[in-house]
Amino acid sequence: MEFITGVYLFFIFVSLYSVFLILLIYLRNRGNLYFEKEINGFYDISVVIPAYNKEDSILETVNAVKNLDYPKDKIEIIVIDDGSKDKTAEIVRKIEGIRFFEKGYNSGKSDSVNFGVKNARGEIIAVIDADSYPEKDSFKKMIGYFDDLETGAVTASCFVKNTGKAIEKLQAIEYFLIAFGRKILDFVDSVYVTPGSLSMYRKKLLVEVGGFDTNNITEDIEIAWKILKNKYKNRMCLSARVHTDVPDTMRKWWRQRLRWNIGGFQTVHKYRDSFFRKNLKMFGLFVVPRFFISHVLSITGFFVFVYVFGRGIFQKVTYWIFSMQNGNTILEVPSLFLIPSVFTFFIFLLFIFTIVFTYIGLKTMNKINLGFRANFIILFYLVFYLTLYPLVLLHSLYLLATGNIKW
Amino acid sequence: MARFGDLFWKALVLTVVVFLLGVFLGFALERNRIGNIEREFQRIDLQWNDAKLQTLYYQNLEPRFCGFAIRENLGFADLVYNEGLKIEKYERVSFLTNDLELEKKKYALLKVEFWLNSIVLKEKCKAKYINLVYFFANDPAFEVKSEQDTQAEILKDLKEKYGKDLMLIPLPIDMDISMINVMKGTYDISKTPTILINEKIKLDGLQGFDELELLIKNEQL
Repeated sequence: MEFITGVYLFFIFVSLYSVFLILLIYLRNRGNLYFEKEINGFYDISVVIPAYNKEDSILETVNAVKNLDYPKDKIEIIVIDDGSKDKTAEIVRKIEGIRFFEKGYNSGKSDSVNFGVKNARGEIIAVIDADSYPEKDSFKKMIGYFDDLETGAVTASCFVKNTGKAIEKLQAIEYFLIAFGRKILDFVDSVYVTPGSLSMYRKKLLVEVGGFDTNNITEDIEIAWKILKNKYKNRMCLSARVHTDVPDTMRKWWRQRLRWNIGGFQTVHKYRDSFFRKNLKMFGLFVVPRFFISHVLSITGFFVFVYVFGRGIFQKVTYWIFSMQNGNTILEVPSLFLIPSVFTFFIFLLFIFTIVFTYIGLKTMNKINLGFRANFIILFYLVFYLTLYPLVLLHSLYLLATGNIKW
Repeated sequence: MARFGDLFWKALVLTVVVFLLGVFLGFALERNRIGNIEREFQRIDLQWNDAKLQTLYYQNLEPRFCGFAIRENLGFADLVYNEGLKIEKYERVSFLTNDLELEKKKYALLKVEFWLNSIVLKEKCKAKYINLVYFFANDPAFEVKSEQDTQAEILKDLKEKYGKDLMLIPLPIDMDISMINVMKGTYDISKTPTILINEKIKLDGLQGFDELELLIKNEQL
């Protein structure tokens, strides 16, 4: 057996394990996906909205929070302007019934949220991005989780608001599946991110752990890991929903994903000492190793792909050159090479599982009847969109290696 | 972890079972293909022995019937050529076992035997066909592979054009077969691709269709 065959088989083994794990967790908990905690009382919530150059969306975000179905005397809204250069501050100043802080300088989202937390009066902090819009009943659905004193944070399903362009549609599918996947991980205490679009935190805990890391560019991953490391739980409420604006151009999308990846690397590096630490339970035994292994596999997988594909291309091109130089025909009818091998079975199996996961995920999110056009987009998502991930990962690695990670 | 640790173990067991099932299936497929080749090889071997005996008989006892021997040899050439293509196809999807290697060696030996028989027939029966032996590497270096692929295609085109007038005998030089090593020494073959026409014209490196055709025509005169 060649070395490369061994590498392929290892990849397949790890992929199969992930698939079966997800499938088993789903099968055991499929009746509880939309479970909602009973409300035994309303906590005081401080909604912290950090804003930087959000003149187009800030008003809608604040209005969405104001319209939440939650006792008005139990909510305070704090908007922090992070040194915006547009009319964000001007717009927010005119909004009544909120607390507005103008920092006058730009110091990043983490610093703004920390500033908001410091000034918050509520025992629960809800962080909402200035381009995200929570549904009316979202807080009521989430708040009950805090009755469990081990709960450090609660997050919601994040849906794409703008779905006009193809790139936005692809992200809409991706966000449905991310929400579904996160709920699956919730059943094994492994929610590894509390997205900025809408997440709630126990204020006491945030203060205890020193707030959001201002040096990390994905503060929502880092804080989730910090909470897990401190032996609290992050919970996911699938029925609570928030809608958010997503990148509408490839360039913006790429930049966003670079940020996610680099932030992911920063977080793994920061928590490297937690790797396989038994006393950290799921965080040490599953969250950190899973993140680490998936990154390593993505990168090595990409290089294996480049090697195999590049080698094939090189040989084909030189073959054409030699053929032309020697008067041989270069146009040939490709033969249908359908002799089954060990990989035919595994690739077919994994492809079927991917489709099954996608459809179970979309069905869970009540998005299965999207019509033929949507099916085409789902297919495009599976075949092309997902293959962009390793490319972004590689670019992220390059930026990390060159130290060029300004944001 | 303890609350749902069983899920992780169950997933592992399930993965191991499915993985082993897949690998077993892969092995079974490859074994089955090798079995096919072995059966085919036995059939060819039988036919080959028959052809060899006929050659022996005609050339020694009944020189008048040389034509029969030549026809048998040519018919056999096509059989060997097609079997070679099949092995090549199977080889591309053999990932788990090395058993095909043995079949390839047996097949290479058969081709050497066939070549020697062709030489004898040419001498004894004054056969007009051209013996073209193509020396290639079974496991070529990265840069040689494209050259070999091109050469193989050119030779395929030549064979198509000249049919039974051309005995195309591809031989791997890197499979550690003593007989081929002897041939390599005899004809001073050190690199691939190399072509030997009628045991006297040796051409190193990639050869174009036109050059080869010219040489074949000259040999036919």
